[in-house]
Amino acid sequence: MKKIEEVLKDWEPVIGLEVHCELTKLETKMFCGCKLEFGAAPNTHTCPVCLGLPGALPVPNKAAIESIVLAGLATNCDIEKHTMFYRKGYMYPDMAKNFQTTQGPKAFCMRGHLDLDVDEKNINERYGVAELAPGETFENVTRTEDGYTAKVGITRIHMEEDAGKMIHVGGAEGRIEGATHSLVDYNRAGTPLIELVTEPDLRSPEEARLFMEKLRQIFLALNISDCSMEEGSIRADGNISLRRRGTDQLGTKTELKNINSFKSLHDGLLYEICRQAEVLEEGGVIYQETRHWDASKKRTIVMRTKETADDYRMFPDPDLAPYDLSDEFIERVRAKLPELPDQKVKRFQETWSLSAYDARHLVEHRVTANFFEACMETADAKLAKPLANLIINDLAAMANDGLDLSASPLSPARAVELVGLLASDAISSKQGKQVLAAVLDEDKDPAQIVEEKGMKQVSDTGALEAVIDKVLADNPDKVAAYKGGKTGLLGFFVGQCMKATRGQGNPKLINQMLAQKLNG
Amino acid sequence: MEFGTMDIAAIRSGLAAKEFSAREVAEQSLARIDAVDGTVNAFLEVTPEAALAKADEVDAAIAAGAFDELGPLAGVPVAFKDNMNLAGTHTACASHMLENYVSPYTATCVQRAIDAGALPLGKLNMDEFAFGSTTESSAFGTTKNPWDTSRVPGGSSGGSAAAVAAGMATVTLGSDTGGSIRQPGSFCGVVAVKPTYGVVSRYGVVAFGSSLDQVGPFARSVHDAALALNAISGRDERDCTSQDVTIDFTRGLDAGVSGMKIGIVPEFMDAAGLTSEVKHAIEGAAEKLREMGAEIVEVELPHVRAAISAYYVIAPCEAFSNLSRFDSVRYGFCDPGHKSLAGQYEASRAKGFGPEARRRIMLGSYLLSAGVYDKYYYPAQQVRTLITQDYERAYETVDCILAPVAPQTAFAFGQISDPATMYATDLYTISINIAGNGGMSVPVGLGEDSQMPVGAQLIAPAFHDMNMLRVAAALEEAYGTARVAPDFADVKAGA
Repeated sequence: MKKIEEVLKDWEPVIGLEVHCELTKLETKMFCGCKLEFGAAPNTHTCPVCLGLPGALPVPNKAAIESIVLAGLATNCDIEKHTMFYRKGYMYPDMAKNFQTTQGPKAFCMRGHLDLDVDEKNINERYGVAELAPGETFENVTRTEDGYTAKVGITRIHMEEDAGKMIHVGGAEGRIEGATHSLVDYNRAGTPLIELVTEPDLRSPEEARLFMEKLRQIFLALNISDCSMEEGSIRADGNISLRRRGTDQLGTKTELKNINSFKSLHDGLLYEICRQAEVLEEGGVIYQETRHWDASKKRTIVMRTKETADDYRMFPDPDLAPYDLSDEFIERVRAKLPELPDQKVKRFQETWSLSAYDARHLVEHRVTANFFEACMETADAKLAKPLANLIINDLAAMANDGLDLSASPLSPARAVELVGLLASDAISSKQGKQVLAAVLDEDKDPAQIVEEKGMKQVSDTGALEAVIDKVLADNPDKVAAYKGGKTGLLGFFVGQCMKATRGQGNPKLINQMLAQKLNG
Repeated sequence: MEFGTMDIAAIRSGLAAKEFSAREVAEQSLARIDAVDGTVNAFLEVTPEAALAKADEVDAAIAAGAFDELGPLAGVPVAFKDNMNLAGTHTACASHMLENYVSPYTATCVQRAIDAGALPLGKLNMDEFAFGSTTESSAFGTTKNPWDTSRVPGGSSGGSAAAVAAGMATVTLGSDTGGSIRQPGSFCGVVAVKPTYGVVSRYGVVAFGSSLDQVGPFARSVHDAALALNAISGRDERDCTSQDVTIDFTRGLDAGVSGMKIGIVPEFMDAAGLTSEVKHAIEGAAEKLREMGAEIVEVELPHVRAAISAYYVIAPCEAFSNLSRFDSVRYGFCDPGHKSLAGQYEASRAKGFGPEARRRIMLGSYLLSAGVYDKYYYPAQQVRTLITQDYERAYETVDCILAPVAPQTAFAFGQISDPATMYATDLYTISINIAGNGGMSVPVGLGEDSQMPVGAQLIAPAFHDMNMLRVAAALEEAYGTARVAPDFADVKAGA
């Protein structure tokens, strides 16, 4: 298959997402009083309503309605005041009533959008944007100083209930093929679920990934879900089709399922773009089908071909009266909106004069944003930039690898101390990394580590001058070569000086002094 | 004493005066069911343990001097339609599909009756899943009309009507989706009330047409029916279509009809198929009401003829969806040995449901399918709005409407077998479910030709159920209180 860069020259990917998010922060299920609890013994959180027993009736969970209205307000949606629940019929044992209660043409939240800020490095994945000047717009995209902003439409967010969990026994890896029997756990049945559907406005795997990340940040900020992709409390399906550059007719789409990480979303879409391009370039046809991303084999596999559209026999649920939201209710919910990621980015930029890039990447993860803010409670404003660097370049990756920033030996106070040592040139940036590792390892203050390891950076010009003179005297041939034009040897001299100071010489000063001596 | 033939007031005063105990009431009622129900077949399940336990509870309260604290149904023998859940009993909806299903919970209306002191005697026969007007579609045999056992008791709540008519219970509960309380009430000569949609909780009553279903009482007097309504009505947090009704339905029952405006609907009285004996009976009732001081006026319900068409779109759609849960997987009938889930579904549903249930499921499945839905479901909802507006307009001039319940009195078993003809007999009752109003049947004597009971239907504006109860009480005054059917009036069951 062709590489993505090649494919993107000829083809434009058109991507839309369907995101399901379980409202795990609620106490009870969508239509009954059963407790929401992950991991309880099978079928212990059930009642006549969520088991679909004869005669049971649903009663909507008001807290769930509040959550979806929060989600709608935070994603710039119009809140529909008059909506209805619908029944969506399908026979399968995981849905006890054999219909799912969901919403019809009008959902609680309609016509929203999110703005995605894409970094410069991904700019070529968006056709025609690199050529724009900052501030110029093209389609739904605006060029910025450090990349571009894409406005992604949200069609709707509707409320529905989750199904139970089927466990197939006797087959390989729990698959239904070859299974001798199946078990159903209805603990999850009736879990309040919101489904967000985007417009087909996304054009690259990176945009899709960013959308999911941003949405997750927002839902976490709203505290409506734990948004765990691993546990499936937030899941995304991707709809993707290709069209030739310069044409605007949509191609046949495939639906990508089984995405349980941001990486899977990105890699699955990327694979699917390349696969579709190959099929189309060979004169083949894309079938409308559901494909499954196999992360271990790094490819997508057909799950199901849609020959005819499913007929869900949707109609308004007569057990649930039309749902009316009052202006007072909506305003009460609006008043509960916390600071959202976009607002936080803006505040970080304004309060601490951070660049858009730094602010955005700090806010990208709630833990790093919180850690930064905790640091800035005591730190001098001048330290904001170096702190942002430390967090974005070092700590974010560690946090991704499992470091719990809220409980690690690197307290905000220690981080401030470390950045202070760096900013005052007391230690070099290389030493900084060693100190960081030692803080995490030995649970000591940075200053103490520097003291114990004798790591102080030598910035005494007198002491450094003696070292430099010795290095130059020891390498007359290289000095001659430098003066003959091989200026690249400066790095060699710096290295020798650093070695002579056992790494403690201030490299910035050494650089300056060497240049002076060699050029002077 | 034959307690099943007594009214609530008589039972109450006897208990208060300690002439008999609640246990005696329960024992004798159970003995009477033994003696009578072999002929009538109203009961699908009798619950002696539950009845006796509740009786002992009532007796203990009386012994403790707490009689006044007992609810309005204290010591009253009561039975429930088979689509109402009562924990520990079968809720089969008279279907093979649920033949072995035992309820783990109790419906709100049943619980409220029991909390009000009712002695639960058991579960009553019905048309399968309430689909029918004769109780002939029950999977467990037909119920006989106590007035003439060669005739149907009506339906779908045929068992509920017959049990009261045969004196096996003082009060029974039924459900009404298109006339299933009022029509058997008329056929069996008892008082039968379908309150306004939302007056009684539907929680725990197996749904047929969720937007149409309503629970109501059968009794032999308007006052008893009103007492039962007092016990079972009101807001239930488990049914979000239930309303906060706090009316005392017995208030003003004896106020008379002087000054009331009562409507007669030409579309009903001139409809083809209305038998002359029923027409005469209703005209006679109108005359009696006029004599008692009511003003009888004609009101138009121009869209009411479309009610049957709209109903047979809306009701099957809702029924199809409501019955989809009966899939053989978690409970209910399962045809074993199938290799695929689809095979098990198909065979279990084909064998578990009777022909009328299958017909309505298929009809609903078709009506909701893509491309068809827009052609039928939307127009049906529009007709629903028009009919509701027709009634609202009528109630601008009248307090209550007088109408037939059914075009004829109880007919012989097997007499109507064509479904469309059967559906057409619902003309007078169905539009009330479509509009959500209250409606009831009260006996107005025997038909001049058939010598079978005729019920007059009284229809009240939504949440003004008191209007129809008051008119019904006046008619009861004029025609005499409903009797136990003659063939069973003198049956003695010992004790």
